[in-house]
Amino acid sequence: MAVLGIESSAHTLGLGIVKNGSIIANEKLMFPIGNQGIIPARAADFHAGNSSKIIRSIFSSSELSPNDIEAVGYTKGPGLGPCLRIGQLMARTFAEKHKIPIFPVNHAVAHIEVTRQLSKVKDPLVLYVSGGNSQILALDDTPFRHYHIYGETFDIGVGNMLDSFAREAKLTPAWGSSVAKLAEGGKYIQMPYTVKGMDFTFTGLLTHASKALENNSHKDIAYSLQETAFAMLCEATERALLLTKKKDILLSGGVAQSRRLGQMIGIVAKSHRARIHTVANEYNADNGAMIALVAESMMKSGQHYRSRDCDINQKYRIDSVKVSW
Amino acid sequence: MKMISEGAEAKIYTIKVLGFDAVVKDRISKRYREKALDSVIRAQRTKTEAKILARASESGIRVPKVLMLKNNKIIMESLNGTMLNALPAKSKIPTSIISQCARQLAVLHGAGIVHGDFTPANILVDKNSNTWIIDFGLGEVTNSDEERALDLLLMKRSIDRGLYGHFEREYLAAPGGAGKAVLRQLSEIEKRGRYQTRTLLSKS
Repeated sequence: MAVLGIESSAHTLGLGIVKNGSIIANEKLMFPIGNQGIIPARAADFHAGNSSKIIRSIFSSSELSPNDIEAVGYTKGPGLGPCLRIGQLMARTFAEKHKIPIFPVNHAVAHIEVTRQLSKVKDPLVLYVSGGNSQILALDDTPFRHYHIYGETFDIGVGNMLDSFAREAKLTPAWGSSVAKLAEGGKYIQMPYTVKGMDFTFTGLLTHASKALENNSHKDIAYSLQETAFAMLCEATERALLLTKKKDILLSGGVAQSRRLGQMIGIVAKSHRARIHTVANEYNADNGAMIALVAESMMKSGQHYRSRDCDINQKYRIDSVKVSW
Repeated sequence: MKMISEGAEAKIYTIKVLGFDAVVKDRISKRYREKALDSVIRAQRTKTEAKILARASESGIRVPKVLMLKNNKIIMESLNGTMLNALPAKSKIPTSIISQCARQLAVLHGAGIVHGDFTPANILVDKNSNTWIIDFGLGEVTNSDEERALDLLLMKRSIDRGLYGHFEREYLAAPGGAGKAVLRQLSEIEKRGRYQTRTLLSKS
């Protein structure tokens, strides 16, 4: 028997199927962001309009039928309200129709768990970097087993920061990989650098870089912005590594797709004889398989949800989630 | 030369200066960092830290005295004592110790200094139960209430709720501190929803 996962927290509508911790199918469709970013209501319309199509394609690619599914998971949050609603509705409809249990999944836990389970690491220090989030975490048993946040952004996520800069610099598509491409071969110019212990902020950097676009080479600014932001993440991660004395670093989330960030965190890991773990980009970006994996873990560890508990929460905190597996 | 610790940004070791024990804080180069950024960070932080230590000392706060400044290294007097986070049984930190560091923080803020990493790991208690504030490596010279509030937030996350309540009252009561505006800013930061303090978590 298999578990279906539905992800719809932002621009990606993703469905995935897992069986005993292995990913069998993973399909996604992405709302085209262009140079405008995500308009929540339009992205939700996109998800709603494509829901039947993606359900058909996940079952044809997995060669399973809906009757082979024994549970369904969906993203409860954090994310954009209108987008989350669509995934919740799809999951509820599917669960109702096939009389199977339903599991509300935390998006951040899913990003971390897909990396942790596929790399088979027990107790890593996690650097979770995505659009809305940038956090440094590790499992902690008190007062219940959960991902404890050692450090995090005080304002916006590093992904949002890169996306916003991409829009300011008129890059298309307006996201991090376009900034990375522009940054190649740039020269360093000084940027504000803000780390507070294991926490950090990005808005000062974004404002400075955006203003600097007027009088400087865009290439140099993209390079300096990226180098500064990633160095901040590395410094905070290194401090957390020394504090927690972990021997594994797990890099996950959308921004984990950045080669430069992976290289820098790799140097941090090596200098303290720690190992670094990450997964294929398909699973770093938003996807349905990670939701299915966590739903399966929740089910196997005996969690149970009534239909009325299956709501959405745009600000669903990762440290409020019980990691019962 | 004896290594004391190797942190995320500096190596700390002891040397003898004219027969006396001294501590060297050596900001080491980080290979992950862009070269130009690396040298700017090391030079700026060393200079700022030395300046802050001098200013804090002038304001009557117990901090290590700077003896010499050279090539991203600060050479300072050696202190004896126990770090606040290394005292046996965390919950039994005496309130008199908490009062002292709350008042010291208020004076620092009043003097335009923000510590930047104000946690029990950076407070030393000597044999006379006097507290010393160390490691201003992430410190800043600023009068921003936001920055001041972050000093309180780090302490709030590090000690238990009752003790922190005491800390906050003492911080407010201290003469020359920035007081109420900082606490207002702290609740603003917490309202942004990105922070769930450890004490809040243990309640749930």
